[in-house]
Amino acid sequence: MPLGLLHWLDRLARNLTPLTLSFLLVIYSATPLRIPEFGPVAPNIGLIATCYWGIYRPDLFPATAAFAVGLWQDVLVGTPLGMNALLLLAIHWFILSQRPFFKGKSFAVVWWAFALVATSTAALLWLISMAYYGRLLNPTPAAFQGIMTVALYPFLTWVFARTQHAVLRQV
Amino acid sequence: MKYRAGSVLRLAAPFRALTQRSAFLFLILAAIGLMILGKAETLLIERVRSGIVDVVAPIMDVLSRPAAKVNAIVDEMRHLTELRSENQRLHLQNGQLLQWQEAARKLSAENATLRNFFNIVPDSRVQFTSARVISDSVGVFARSVLIKAGEHHGVTTGQAVITGQGLAGRILSVGDSSARALLITDLNSRIPAIIEESRERAIVAGDNSGQPRLTFIGRDNQVELGNRVVTSGHGGAFPPGLPVGVVSEIIGDIIRIQPYVRFNQLEFVQVADFSGVIQAQDMPSDPESGIP
Repeated sequence: MPLGLLHWLDRLARNLTPLTLSFLLVIYSATPLRIPEFGPVAPNIGLIATCYWGIYRPDLFPATAAFAVGLWQDVLVGTPLGMNALLLLAIHWFILSQRPFFKGKSFAVVWWAFALVATSTAALLWLISMAYYGRLLNPTPAAFQGIMTVALYPFLTWVFARTQHAVLRQV
Repeated sequence: MKYRAGSVLRLAAPFRALTQRSAFLFLILAAIGLMILGKAETLLIERVRSGIVDVVAPIMDVLSRPAAKVNAIVDEMRHLTELRSENQRLHLQNGQLLQWQEAARKLSAENATLRNFFNIVPDSRVQFTSARVISDSVGVFARSVLIKAGEHHGVTTGQAVITGQGLAGRILSVGDSSARALLITDLNSRIPAIIEESRERAIVAGDNSGQPRLTFIGRDNQVELGNRVVTSGHGGAFPPGLPVGVVSEIIGDIIRIQPYVRFNQLEFVQVADFSGVIQAQDMPSDPESGIP
């Protein structure tokens, strides 16, 4: 029985890896780096996590996970509660509906597709923010954040892929 | 048995799809609901948010230290290369400052005499709490930071957040051991201010850019580039005279200021409780209280 319990716990921990890793990366992304003008355009970690796990392990990263990561970002970053959650839910839905396209494609193609997703996300974030604050906003920071996110994608993908290889091979 | 399992599966498949779809819809509605609730019940939502941040604050505190250390080393290297020119500049500045010191001494003495003369209660009831900044302002459309001090340390909503350079913002929400500070560059920040030279009143209104706007200032104003902008003390949140920034851009009706605080270098801030000062104005004067 203890062995069974250990096995169960081990499996649970492995299953929760994508979510835990995303949570930790979001915390890290909010810590001060003190680079001039970096803060507002810091890459959107939640978006990369949702896309990666949505494409490769949707069974371990359901819509609830996307919602949770988004809410976590809202809490830590100070954006209106629910805004990133809504955004990541939409992205998650889109990624899952386009999964057949992503399947078996080379990294370059997936990256290119991600660039399109990140651009749409930036536009969506800008629109939702304007609706929320009820005034016109300058879209430049959102655009720059999109570019930074696309630039960070290969690196984070590498981290996620290593994790997936190390922890989730048998799960 | 086999047949039954098959039929259950056949029945279950659409049912599962339906529950999945309704779960997704539920999450979407929850997200929108939270946003609306956040607008209507700001206090409740901020309370919940602060509670969660309190739990993560120690982790963020630890994580923020290496970044600060690396930053300090880089700064050190840069300063080493500029040592000679820096020294020369400081010599020059020292001479100027000595003159200012002389002037300040005279003014201070004069001020003391006049205060005695009018029985003014001194503004010495300010409580300071120093705190480390543990999160960057990383929201695309929000400018706020988390600090590692909360209700336990006497921090309450609305207090001024300052650095050695000037006003950085005000406390937006407070947890037990952490708090969120809204920077003066945020879209929702409005600070009653006054132009030091012309004594004209204005509001420093953040718009998420690095340079907040000066609004509610008359069309025939006499604002010039380089004018200092300080808090006016109106509204009772801040005492008058806290440095905010200098006028850095005038294009038509749009006046912008460059804040004194360098927001990308925030490492420690002071949370200042000026309620004593503001209350002091309503208290009877006490001639024996002394001059600071």
